[in-house]
Amino acid sequence: MQPVLSLNGISKSYGSIQALKNVSLDIPQGCVFGILGPNGSGKTTMLSIILDILKTDNGSFNWFGKKGSPETRKHIGSLLETPNFYHYLSAVDNLNITHAISGRGSAEEIERVLKIVKLDERKTSRFSSYSLGMKQRLAIAAALLGDPQVLVFDEPTNGLDPVGIAEIRELIKELAKRGKTIIMASHLLDEVEKVCTHVAILKKGDLLTAGSVDEVLANEDIVEISANDIGQLETILGGLSGYSHIKKEGSRLQLFFPVGTAKLEDVNRFCFEKGITLNLLTVKKKSLETKFFELTNQ
Amino acid sequence: MFSLIKIEWLKIKRYPAFWWMLGIVSLTYPGVNMMFYYGYSQSLAQSKDVGAIVKMILGNPFTFPETWHSVAYFSSFFILLPSILVIMLVTNEYTFRTHRQNIIDGWSRDQFITSKLCDVLIISVVITIVYSLVALSFGLYVDSNTSYRWSEQLYYIPLFFLQTFAQLSIAFLLGYLLKKAFISLGIFLFYYLVVENIAVTWMQFKLNDLGRFLPFEISDRLIPPPAFMGRFNKDYDKVLHAIPQFVVYSIVLTALIWLLCFRVHRKRDL
Repeated sequence: MQPVLSLNGISKSYGSIQALKNVSLDIPQGCVFGILGPNGSGKTTMLSIILDILKTDNGSFNWFGKKGSPETRKHIGSLLETPNFYHYLSAVDNLNITHAISGRGSAEEIERVLKIVKLDERKTSRFSSYSLGMKQRLAIAAALLGDPQVLVFDEPTNGLDPVGIAEIRELIKELAKRGKTIIMASHLLDEVEKVCTHVAILKKGDLLTAGSVDEVLANEDIVEISANDIGQLETILGGLSGYSHIKKEGSRLQLFFPVGTAKLEDVNRFCFEKGITLNLLTVKKKSLETKFFELTNQ
Repeated sequence: MFSLIKIEWLKIKRYPAFWWMLGIVSLTYPGVNMMFYYGYSQSLAQSKDVGAIVKMILGNPFTFPETWHSVAYFSSFFILLPSILVIMLVTNEYTFRTHRQNIIDGWSRDQFITSKLCDVLIISVVITIVYSLVALSFGLYVDSNTSYRWSEQLYYIPLFFLQTFAQLSIAFLLGYLLKKAFISLGIFLFYYLVVENIAVTWMQFKLNDLGRFLPFEISDRLIPPPAFMGRFNKDYDKVLHAIPQFVVYSIVLTALIWLLCFRVHRKRDL
């Protein structure tokens, strides 16, 4: 299937600072693609480039197999960095402008999206009178206008309260269920882990890794085991082969195997034959947070 | 083009500052001409003899056809007010960061600048309409006996439009490049009121009148002082004959300004 978005060798610098270094990646259709990275890693720069806000120094990108153009952007709902609206206009008036430029949505659609983001009661208030969270909701409403197939969100939960964050997370999950492609930059790892199917990790402009969440996280199998006598268990594990290293986590031990090589029955049999009965034996997935820090602290 | 104008209309139709400013502009133009007319009428009324001398020297600048010229000249002093409007409209886009959002939503960079070009054109048309109505009203009110000459010197209407559009385009360029309303306005005022006036006067004596090629002066020379003021200048006829030349200069300069805006906007990061 043709990727929704392909980046080919994108580089961008601001003076002496290289914000993106030869970044290439494909974003498949129907995925929730999280772009992760610490502050200043190039996430927003990347999104700004694909939305034609910034010009690249090198490289190109294609939306739906075609060179990015105003026409393609009209079919993409986007929230980039901050909610950008006319302060003296109401939510409805601002969305009318979004509609007029993009051709997405209609008067009824504006009512619908304002209801989704729970701004319908304040729809005639001026944007300048909104709280930060309400402004963010309006930006999400603008992105949802016309039910676009592709959505680009840059830190979508910025400024939202915990309830708002949960609502937006649910909204993203629901959109993903309906087959929408969502490209989302965030530094909230928990948020990305909860909603994303694919992830890319950036650090100082370098793309460290990209792929499905399972692929990115599963470069090691972590077998977690425990027994009543944890000291003896640790001793006998010296004779077990196949794992790269061992780590003690409270009353449990973690054995790190190369991806796809951990066999629970072998571990269980080995321990039993050495006279240890295990009371915990499980394969643990590495958290995105662990992986993120592993990669970005190198 | 029509859709761009429609979208610009959505942006300004509920913008109170825009309407206030437009209202002030619409009142200023008749106001300033009323002031000059009042001064003129007072001179006439002083005594029969003085009045007769004033009338002989000045003629009547507010009757047809001279009203088109006089009102254009007096009104052109107040280009500052619509300039504030233009600077406000462009710098607002930066303040609200909507210059980025418009592109994200699907405008091309050229469409953004074209929409602003439409704004400046429309403001220039509105100002020209206000000027034309003021000039027409004076012509009809001051001396109805001359109304048969209403169509003479009508060319001051397109000249006034070109002058307004050219000078508002300079205001736009400043707002567009500097992005901040107060800085743009400050520089605009300082340059328009102080720097260029001093430079033009100085160059007139020292540099073979090279000041005529300064940005505002080029279009200022489209509407020279009215005949009653100009008759004291021995080169007045030359000034009048140079108007077509300055029409060309103004068009070229204004075209360059907009080409520069299009070019910069195509290339620069938003």
